[in-house]
Amino acid sequence: MLELLFLPALIIFGLSFIKSRKTHKPLAFISFFILIPTAELLRLPKPFHLLGDYLVVDDLNAYVLFVSSIVGIGVALALMTLDKHVEVSKNAYRRFYRFFAIFWVGLIFSILSNHMGIYWIGLELATLSTVYMIKTNHSNAAHKEAWNYMIVGAIAISLILFGIILIYASAKPILGEDAMNFNLLLAHAKEIKSPFLFEIGFAVVSVGMFVKMGFFPMNLWLANIERASFYPVAALFSGILESAVIIGFFRFSKIAMEVNYDHLFTFVFIYTVLTIFIVSFLIFRTKDFMRLFSLSGVEHMALIALFWVSGGTFAALLHFGAHAFLKPALFLSTGVLESNGKYRIAGALRGYKGKKGTLFWFLVSLFLLAVISLPPSPMFFSEIYGFGAMINVAKHGYHLLAMMAAILILLILLSIIFYKFIEVYQSMKYEGEVHSKKVYASELFSLVIFAFALIALIMPPVMNYLKGIL
Amino acid sequence: MIIYVTTIAVLLLLAPLLLSFIKSLKMVLLFKRPSSLLQGYRNFSKLMKKETIISQETSSITTYAPFLVLSPLLVTMFFLPPVVHGAFYVSFVDAFTITGLLSLSTFFLMLLGLDSASAFGGMGSSREAFISALVEPAMVLTVFSVSMMAGDLGIGQAGVNLAEHFPKEHMASFLFAGISFFILLIAENGRIPVDNPETHLELTMVHEAMILDLSGVYLAIIETAASVKFVIFASLFVSLFIPLGLQYSAPVAILIFIAKLFGVAVAVALLEVNTAKLRLFKVPNLLGISIVFAFLSLITFYVLGA
Amino acid sequence: MVDFFIGLFLASLITALFTTRLYRLLMWYSFNSFTLGVLALLIGMKLQDNAMLITGIATILIKAVGIPYFLKSFSQKFHFVRQITPEIKVQYAIMLIPAILVFTFYLAEPITNMIANNSNYVAISISSLFLSLLLMMEHKNVAPKIIGFLSMENSLFLLGITATDGMPMLVELGIFFDLLMAIIVINLLFHREEMKNA
Repeated sequence: MLELLFLPALIIFGLSFIKSRKTHKPLAFISFFILIPTAELLRLPKPFHLLGDYLVVDDLNAYVLFVSSIVGIGVALALMTLDKHVEVSKNAYRRFYRFFAIFWVGLIFSILSNHMGIYWIGLELATLSTVYMIKTNHSNAAHKEAWNYMIVGAIAISLILFGIILIYASAKPILGEDAMNFNLLLAHAKEIKSPFLFEIGFAVVSVGMFVKMGFFPMNLWLANIERASFYPVAALFSGILESAVIIGFFRFSKIAMEVNYDHLFTFVFIYTVLTIFIVSFLIFRTKDFMRLFSLSGVEHMALIALFWVSGGTFAALLHFGAHAFLKPALFLSTGVLESNGKYRIAGALRGYKGKKGTLFWFLVSLFLLAVISLPPSPMFFSEIYGFGAMINVAKHGYHLLAMMAAILILLILLSIIFYKFIEVYQSMKYEGEVHSKKVYASELFSLVIFAFALIALIMPPVMNYLKGIL
Repeated sequence: MIIYVTTIAVLLLLAPLLLSFIKSLKMVLLFKRPSSLLQGYRNFSKLMKKETIISQETSSITTYAPFLVLSPLLVTMFFLPPVVHGAFYVSFVDAFTITGLLSLSTFFLMLLGLDSASAFGGMGSSREAFISALVEPAMVLTVFSVSMMAGDLGIGQAGVNLAEHFPKEHMASFLFAGISFFILLIAENGRIPVDNPETHLELTMVHEAMILDLSGVYLAIIETAASVKFVIFASLFVSLFIPLGLQYSAPVAILIFIAKLFGVAVAVALLEVNTAKLRLFKVPNLLGISIVFAFLSLITFYVLGA
Repeated sequence: MVDFFIGLFLASLITALFTTRLYRLLMWYSFNSFTLGVLALLIGMKLQDNAMLITGIATILIKAVGIPYFLKSFSQKFHFVRQITPEIKVQYAIMLIPAILVFTFYLAEPITNMIANNSNYVAISISSLFLSLLLMMEHKNVAPKIIGFLSMENSLFLLGITATDGMPMLVELGIFFDLLMAIIVINLLFHREEMKNA
């Protein structure tokens, strides 16, 4: 099972050394093989011990892994036509595949790990390989941002390690060497002798994760990096890397909930509301697609974290799934929209002719409207459930009115974002000149996959599965 | 009491030898033919015999100042920690007094440089003032921190306490103080990263610039003062930071002490050969490191107790 | 003895903050890692922990010898700027560094109360974490930033061996592996840069 999971990534890694141009097509189809083990893992009785106590599959990470695998397939499909949209040298193209494979391996480790150390190692591996993926773009901006990512990412990752060490130190007296184990830590969270040490460790870990997800005060660094690099990098960031980061956050905060729920909730609440406050105005000021989507990704990650700590597990997971499908789809279609350096928003959706073109602009408008949670979108349901969970939390305390006010403010902020997206959409569809543009079958195929995945999310069986995850 | 006086006499006698030793060791390391170890004494006797010429422009300060440069240093010699266990020592003199006496000597040296009204003298004095202004806070902090570790503010008592109970538990702050003091030793004695004692190039001189107008007996006194100052710093370093070997009988202990002094001289010579002289405006960087370490030593001691 | 080496560890990091030459900085980094390796060996011997002995030897081999050597060869291959002047002026650094130290020592105090043994070392490793961040901040060139990142790794390693009496072997080895990966990626980044200039 373990071999099957890593097989597609390893094959991609191996084939990336072959110089022939023909290898790209099989690579995309090889990536489909990841569906077999992930679907199998979804079906198997949980918890399933994949590798001793180190890699354990439960409902939560099987779901996250499945979501990220679909994203991986979509990105691998879209990668086939990367050179049609941007200038990329052959060597850089092959290197991109190679580091994509390393990135994937690292994140599969991270997502499946039941061990803080392995989680960190996988995340670090993925971070380092991303640096090179950013660098494949031969522009000065990309070069600068690659270093930027190296430095800031390294700081964020080191913060996470720092926090992990503190948590380990707090739990070692009761658990010994097993204090790195998430499940055991969760089971013995109440017995931790120095909760203060644990909470400091948790705060440091979550600040590291928040920096990596672009929360306050590091709102713009991800946007700049995604702007400077090729569009699949952005898709990988939002689809796979952030899945791994957020699952880490889920696991750590689960333990922190046991230790001291009030501290956790206050900390995350203030952090996320501040983030959404700043991001909504940043979104209002953006002038290009990449930054727009990237900042909206930050907003959604903040919402997911907020829903999760409010106890809205189902809402958080639904929102997470919807975001993980929508954002890569939008980033990939951005690559098509901005094909060959046409960065203008006005009229970006015009000029797509024929069956493929029509399908493309239809899908893109669908995604655009779904990401701002218009009703049939899964995000609509998740936000309703999430805000419901927040009110439920407040009901038990004495802060119901404050919570209502906070939700109201959040809704106002979200409506700012809503307004901006609608404006962008109108400008894309009804303004500007008409040029004839082209869209390739492989990209369209990946967008269709994302669309189906999105629809599948609101199907009752999937909803039931998500409700079953604790 | 006898050991006390003997030690001071030995240190005074040793002073010129140490500087000549550094010089000849440096020459060996640079593959030159080394000068004699006795060169310091030879210079002294030669200068004593020579005629003393005083510039017409000077005031009476030039005639007093050399003695006032030497005498605080001689007084300081009496306050150093003992070299032999059980010997007589002055226990009540603290960091401020020692630093004050040393800077009194520096003050008269600067006055001497200014008095001759030559361009070089003024330049040398201003540079010396610049350096010693940075040295003093670090010096006070360092010695203070070491005496805190030893549990007594008096330097003599601190030296004894350190020899009896070496502060193993405060090793980290002890190390920081040691690094800081070694930098001070280099800076205050005008050794290479800060000042080059061998050159007479006007751009680089500090110490030499101030005594450019002196001759004869006065020059002999000032050079003696320079060597005495080095001995004071070296023996402070040795007895505060390498407090070993005091428990043996008097001759052995004094020999060990002298060996340690030569060890410091070797360290200085090695450093001088391996580094280039800093630009004057980079000197604050070096002294800044010294101040940081002195402060670090204090706070590590206080906050962490390490 | 452990105190002495931990002092040397912090001392070499502070000296690195004032360094203006790349090779000197590499030398201080190497010295820093060397003291770290010796610390791991000493503590490992005290705790009779074989895993820590192995990581100590690996630290000395990889961090104190290997990485400085590779970085030096990179710098010769890709013609780094070897004069690295800190952006923060020395007079401010003199005030800033003690301020950081005092701040972190007091910050670490509640933590150190909870850790039974080696509590001081935790404070020192946290302060060295902040100092490495300062090292990253005060330089504009890339090479010293890398050194800052690596010394941050060092201080986390110190925290690992002192606060927790050693992390599991698997994690330590994983960290080493990631470090090597980082060096490869850095090499590739410089490689591209050189190709473009040529």
